[in-house]
Amino acid sequence: MSDIEAQHHDRFGSLFAEHEPALRTFVRALLPAPSDAAEVTQAVAVMLWQKFAEFDAARDFRKWAFGVARYEVLAFLRDRGRDPHVFSVELVNTLAEEATAAGPRHEAQREALETCLKKLPEARRELVLAAYTKDIRIDQLAARRGQTPMSVYKALHRIRKALLECVGHTLVRESAP
Amino acid sequence: MNDHWHEQIQRHLNGQLGAEEAAAFVEALGRDAELRALYLDYMNLDAALGAMAETAAAVPGSVATLPAEAEGGSWPIWRWLAPVAAGAALVVLGFVFERRGPVPARADLGAATLSAQTAISRLPTPAPAPIPAWMSPTASLLGEAGAPR
Repeated sequence: MSDIEAQHHDRFGSLFAEHEPALRTFVRALLPAPSDAAEVTQAVAVMLWQKFAEFDAARDFRKWAFGVARYEVLAFLRDRGRDPHVFSVELVNTLAEEATAAGPRHEAQREALETCLKKLPEARRELVLAAYTKDIRIDQLAARRGQTPMSVYKALHRIRKALLECVGHTLVRESAP
Repeated sequence: MNDHWHEQIQRHLNGQLGAEEAAAFVEALGRDAELRALYLDYMNLDAALGAMAETAAAVPGSVATLPAEAEGGSWPIWRWLAPVAAGAALVVLGFVFERRGPVPARADLGAATLSAQTAISRLPTPAPAPIPAWMSPTASLLGEAGAPR
């Protein structure tokens, strides 16, 4: 690899790593099914790398990446237009605009979440992280814990709601003079 | 925003909404900006928790393998019998002066590595340009050299 190629590679790596959490949220918001979101996020990463030579360094990488991601999501949805769980093109575009605008708020929320997660009782923290572990289904997790899937879902509902409220309160406190 | 929408968003995320409920939810999402803001906040939370769990899963003794907590769920009879059986086993062991080491509750790193390799193998090939391996969201599981910090 030449020096120029290495610099190109490093620059992309640095920008992608910086904006990857926001990109994940963006795609996840437009494709609620985690497996769909994971598939498209990976496709977006590949597309960004392939098109990076065309990227104007004076532009905002996040906006450019979101634009590519929106195109990939719409392409993905073309085949699934009649599924009531899937969003219309109009709704995808609205959510994409609002997710882009919410970027700074979401970044602050992610930072606050680390603190809020630490405040959770240990058993609840373990449960929520276990539920989000890759390739573990809720029914498997429930069986492992000797619980029904519904009781695990209910526990997760309460934990996520509590986390969101904690994040909100944290940000209000931080913004207070 | 009332509890109903918190629940609907989470059920939508879990794929628990039936066709009619899903259509009603998507319709409400289209006309209610406040609901969309809450929905996006949940998506952000969801994505962030996924990233945190991925990091945690790379650590031996992953939370995914740890036992249950009392979270108001079911409490089957074997959960009560287990401590009794354990106590009885200890008494028996005490009599025969035999000790055995505890079974460590560790994550199956072999399975985690296999999962990561499978995910990486799904990357489309051949690509017009070389793709850095760390672009895979599972690269951290492999300790890939050169991944940006």
